[in-house]
Amino acid sequence: MSKEIIASVNAPAAIGPYSPGIKSGSIVFLSGQLGIDPATGKMPEGIEAQAEQSLKNVEALLAEAGATMANVVKTTIYLNDIADFKAVNAIYAEHFAEPYPARSAVQVAALPAGGLVEIEVTATL
Amino acid sequence: MSKEAFFPSNAPAALGPYSPAVKTDNMLFLSGQLGIDPATGKLPATVEEQADQSLKNIESLLAEAGATMDNVVKTTVFLNDIADFKAVNEVYAKHFEAPYPARSAVQVAALPAGALVEIEVIAAL
Repeated sequence: MSKEIIASVNAPAAIGPYSPGIKSGSIVFLSGQLGIDPATGKMPEGIEAQAEQSLKNVEALLAEAGATMANVVKTTIYLNDIADFKAVNAIYAEHFAEPYPARSAVQVAALPAGGLVEIEVTATL
Repeated sequence: MSKEAFFPSNAPAALGPYSPAVKTDNMLFLSGQLGIDPATGKLPATVEEQADQSLKNIESLLAEAGATMDNVVKTTVFLNDIADFKAVNEVYAKHFEAPYPARSAVQVAALPAGALVEIEVIAAL
């Protein structure tokens, strides 16, 4: 099965032994996206801004793979604080339409770079 | 849709209500692998050794299903301590080549058996 790297100038570049996304046949797996602004390499302050940036990074990568949020079938939300779930949910809902992807959400002990949220998606073309 | 379970040739058939790996169509889903040495049933002392053993366990399982690390499209790295990410990254990089799989990494509150790292992979045949 083919294995194609998905990367975008509008999403953070990989800074280690991983690809921002991989397209394998008709499935696209994206690396978990922190709310890093690819233009600055920094995360904005606050959970809402980070969630918004994370989802923007997801959209940029999906576009490189010829996909949109409508192609997303499954997401996982890793939160630094489960109390942020409501705020993240409100922003998340603005980026998806029915039928919504399946989703899991958990609070983790910590995220890389002290991020407040990391969002991982799987899409099918 | 087909569903076939794979087991390591050098370990007990079943340790609980899960399969070490499941193949369906051309996708292979592996259970998260701790760094347990199948010869001793024990975890080595350091995070580097545990990461290396976890990835070795993954390679063995993939081989049972006729795959290699080149088939891996997505991984998730669960860390006991995000500060270990750099050390784990160095070990991880030795087991993969470009195009690297997509990846998510988080620090969790705890892993089974008091382990320091657990790695989960999805492969496409």
